[in-house]
Amino acid sequence: MAWNVVDRNTAGDLGPGISDAVRQKIRGFFDRYPTRRAVMLPALHITQEALGYVSLQAMRDVAEELEVPPSDVLDVVSFYTHFWTHPRGEKTIMVCRSLSCELLGGRELVEALKEKLGIGEHETTPDGRFSLMTEECLAACDHAPCMMINEKMHKCVRLDQLDQLLDDPDNDRLDMPRSDLYDAPGGEKPDYAALARQHGHHDEPAANAEDDDLGYTSDVGEMKDS
Amino acid sequence: MPYEQILMRNVGVKNSQSLKVYQQAGGYASAEKALKMSVEDLVEFVKGGNVRGRGGAGFPAGIKWGFLPKERETTYLCVNADESEPPTFCNRVLMEHDPHMMLEGILIAGYATRTNVAYIYMRGEFTEQFHIVQKAVEQAYEAGYFGTNILGSGYDLECYVHRGAGAYVCGEETGLIESLEGKRGWPRIKPPFPAIAGAFGKPTVVNNVETLAVLPHIIERGLDWWNGLGTANSKGTKMYCISGPVNRPGCYEAPLGISTRELIYGEDFGQGMRDGMKVKACSPGGLSMGFLRGDLFPENPSKGEVDLTSDYDELDCILDFDDVRRYDLLGLGTAAAVVVAEDTDIRRVLTNVCRFYALESCGQCTQCREGTAWMYKIAQRIEAGAGRSFDLDLIEEVTKNMGMMPGMSICGLPDGAAWPIRTLVQKFRAEFEQHLAAQAPNAAAERIIATNPAAYDLPVLQGRALQPSGGTYLVPKD
Amino acid sequence: MPKIIIDGKEIECRDGIPVLQAALEAGWDVPHYCYHPGLSVVASCRLCLMEQKMPHPQTKEMGWAPKLFPSCQTPVKDGMEVRFHSESVENNQKHVMEYYLLNHPLDCPVCDKAGECSLQDYSEKFGNATSRMVEDKHKNPKKDIGPKTLLYQDRCVLCTRCVRFADEIAGTGELAVVERGSRGEIDVFPGEPLANDLQGNVVDLCPVGCLLDKQFLFRQRVWNLQTVPSVSPADSSGACIWIDANDAGVHRVRPRFNERVNEWWISDEQRHGFEYVNREDRLTRPRIRENGQVRGASWEEIPAHLRAAFAGDGSAFVISPMLSNEEAWLLATFARQVAPNAVLACGHVPVEGQDRSFPKGFTIRAEKAPNRGGVERILAHFGGPQMSFDELCGQAADGTLKAVYVYGGYPAAWITPAQAEQLSRLDCLVVHDLFDGPLTERADLVLPAAPWTEREGSFTNCDGLVQAFERARPPRSGIKAEGQFFQELCGLPGLFRSAKIRTMLGESIADLAETFQPRKEPEHAH
Repeated sequence: MAWNVVDRNTAGDLGPGISDAVRQKIRGFFDRYPTRRAVMLPALHITQEALGYVSLQAMRDVAEELEVPPSDVLDVVSFYTHFWTHPRGEKTIMVCRSLSCELLGGRELVEALKEKLGIGEHETTPDGRFSLMTEECLAACDHAPCMMINEKMHKCVRLDQLDQLLDDPDNDRLDMPRSDLYDAPGGEKPDYAALARQHGHHDEPAANAEDDDLGYTSDVGEMKDS
Repeated sequence: MPYEQILMRNVGVKNSQSLKVYQQAGGYASAEKALKMSVEDLVEFVKGGNVRGRGGAGFPAGIKWGFLPKERETTYLCVNADESEPPTFCNRVLMEHDPHMMLEGILIAGYATRTNVAYIYMRGEFTEQFHIVQKAVEQAYEAGYFGTNILGSGYDLECYVHRGAGAYVCGEETGLIESLEGKRGWPRIKPPFPAIAGAFGKPTVVNNVETLAVLPHIIERGLDWWNGLGTANSKGTKMYCISGPVNRPGCYEAPLGISTRELIYGEDFGQGMRDGMKVKACSPGGLSMGFLRGDLFPENPSKGEVDLTSDYDELDCILDFDDVRRYDLLGLGTAAAVVVAEDTDIRRVLTNVCRFYALESCGQCTQCREGTAWMYKIAQRIEAGAGRSFDLDLIEEVTKNMGMMPGMSICGLPDGAAWPIRTLVQKFRAEFEQHLAAQAPNAAAERIIATNPAAYDLPVLQGRALQPSGGTYLVPKD
Repeated sequence: MPKIIIDGKEIECRDGIPVLQAALEAGWDVPHYCYHPGLSVVASCRLCLMEQKMPHPQTKEMGWAPKLFPSCQTPVKDGMEVRFHSESVENNQKHVMEYYLLNHPLDCPVCDKAGECSLQDYSEKFGNATSRMVEDKHKNPKKDIGPKTLLYQDRCVLCTRCVRFADEIAGTGELAVVERGSRGEIDVFPGEPLANDLQGNVVDLCPVGCLLDKQFLFRQRVWNLQTVPSVSPADSSGACIWIDANDAGVHRVRPRFNERVNEWWISDEQRHGFEYVNREDRLTRPRIRENGQVRGASWEEIPAHLRAAFAGDGSAFVISPMLSNEEAWLLATFARQVAPNAVLACGHVPVEGQDRSFPKGFTIRAEKAPNRGGVERILAHFGGPQMSFDELCGQAADGTLKAVYVYGGYPAAWITPAQAEQLSRLDCLVVHDLFDGPLTERADLVLPAAPWTEREGSFTNCDGLVQAFERARPPRSGIKAEGQFFQELCGLPGLFRSAKIRTMLGESIADLAETFQPRKEPEHAH
């Protein structure tokens, strides 16, 4: 054909699937809801904790557990901004860019982080340590500008604190009793550095949508430029 | 403090999240009392308090419960803890400091609605709060406040925490239900309303965290106390949020009916603007409710009368369910104010607001899906210095079509998008026009103009009152 | 039946339908994308909004409510008054049409849907000539979502009809909406293409040029096609179809609404299975074997030849279930004219597996012939010696039968080598078929058949429903269509007209006379 067409008839590399332990944990949610499908979000959270992202194979596995077509899982994954369809780093930095934060320097914070980490939004540093994304309102407007590193909220972040913050190994650790309800079973964790080596970060815009993580970015970077 | 802290009484208290501390302050006594009442009496009692929902729409909770069909087998209670409206954080504060107050409210509401399963739908961004609430739920189970035969009453209630994953629209009650069911959070068409066919096709009540947290206090102190607080149609106490460049941003509780000015400048609230700046704009009810002009503008000479046609200071707006409408706001919303200082470029505010709705529109209804994205593009162009005065008319026209009046789309998101964008463009038009007249074309602007200069001269819809002002772009062409 | 007032005109409508459906059936042209009577209502395109008279909240006086209502989601109620022609309704239509075209590539010159696209139609009728967006358009990819279908995302209006079809009618759910807001796309899961047996319907359902059929891709401009109502011969369900054809052949088959059979849908087999009618290697000339030599024959010499060959004992006629009722009746009539004791047999009935039903009741029949029921009914009427095709082959082999007339007409090779061998021992074998095959090689007389697109008549479906089909194309040069040929054999004068024969047939077989006339299709969907 005269122009590029994305081929969906074959899948290519589907990435890693979920482990039996993850499946077991997902099944543990079944009796909380009257339908299996309702376990979708918990299942995807747990999957993402275990794999670092939600791979295509993981989507198929989750679909199998929940007895829905895989397209329904893809549908849900792509709708919610927190699910990554390509590998992310060990620590995901989520910067708030809503009005209160922007008025007090949120936009500058994102720019500074991009420069310091050398990555754009929804990208990962080559060593697999950090990924960056922005979020619409983290509901901490009283502490604007704010950002989260994994679970940990950092409040009233000043530009001159960034270096120190990024260097702190505990910058994502919650200093409080945690519930492991939505965690991966047995602390299952991906090898983030290996994932980053394998997939790299997207410096160049991909030639066509297929290479670029299926064309779904769960983010809206392209809108910003258009 | 002049205002009694009721919902926030435990904020700042050591270990306020623990069941022990909550019980020491009399916690769960109201639930015990409620479980001894008949369901009908309890519902009537809450109706008497006219507890208008705190989630934004202000719909009375008791009446909402009354919509449930008389004959029903299964009922679900969904707790809307998907607090996504910028710049709102009162639910966060509540759950962070006093999760048991919400849980007690769930127990009361669950009993009143004959629910056996309650889901707390918590937005994905709440991480610390998730752990706090989940731990609190576990404690409550241990203490017998959830589970079977609660406090010997024969009433059973399971309570589960369900985490979202980043979608503003899941705060809409049917979007929340869809999301709970494991689907994309596309709001449903109504009817049927959730009270008839909600989660999993069963009668469902969706209540906001703060609405539920109010219940134990009404039962404890009675209707007279509650109805003595607030204004004519807006009873009780409310957690107000204030953020932006004020001296003391935060969440402060007061009876409904304080003015915007008090929220910004009051000793018990924001304590004034940083560096003594003046307020250019204020969105007093959560972003979706629209903007007020700040005290940068001259005082309104006709005391009490609202004059929207002139650029007068509008901070006298009373933050209750009624007065806000006189200022062309959509409603009280979440009573979360954000202040824009005099030194902020209004174009940047517009871009930020437009972006929020463009990114969070769920994409079902055409007006919302396409309109928000288009306005975001226009706002970006205006900020980049390539605006046309026609663009302001265009944005206004799009917002009027999206939100000609509330309730014309499946959910309220397009109304919530139309109001702030339209009020910004209308109320701050003079500033936009100044910028348009003075703008210097930067690289971005040049590029946009280079793409299609002819398109700049397109007419407005034929037969409509809005005509382009001159039909030319305002970037100097030399 | 409730009565409602639309734009000041009172109409009567069916109970329980949405106002939009009532308006469409009464002849209003109300723009709409997401609504389809065969699918669930989502009310998301917001194009069919209407004004409705309601009691004023305070004064209770009836007046136009300031808010617009989606007519697809509002059920009709006796006495209700609505309007589609008012400033605010038309203003909304104008705006929504502008939104739809903001990011549309406007590539109508290369779009298959051009000419039958509701974006084009509605833009002209309800929209604007210009777009006021000066920014770059959002460009979406083109996707190959299945073996038979392409998805041009940049033309999509996100009405989600296709997604609902895959979920509700096909029950396979391959399609989904991905992403959200203005980035929303329709997609399949990679490696799980759209491949169910009803998937072609999404192309018809698509109101714009987003979903395209690979078979029809870039093949014809739709305004060069002539559309004829027909009935699908692909199985025994009797699905109603439209045939789109022109001088270059038959190009497309689309479903035709029939609430008693296929509703709005057809299977892929019914949709795509027509290509054989365009094959170059179809038989086009009668052939005769004389003294071991095969020569071309003229149609004029055939009747006399047949009368001579079949006059004696031991003659038999195989009447294929691919023939229409009228043709079958004429052929049987001729058979009994020429040889009163001729054996009549219903031809081979191809069967594949079991009937397959889909969630909302659409069924693909295992029997892959359109008219077994009709042929058997007619044979029963004629009575006399009859047998099955298998028995007939056996009797041909053991010499009981001398002369056999076999009508085939199947889209593909159909006879087993063993049966062909059995039939080759006859004194006279006449084969009337579409293509050369093992039987034509052995035949003494070969007659070229015309496919159903080049004939007219009626089929009796598996439930006994008789439905007429029209001729979409003239018979290919050299072919005499079956109806005409059989009529001449019977000695009936004039041109073959199926309606005329149907009347005659009805006089002799009363219950076949009630030819079902499908209800006028509600023109809403395409």
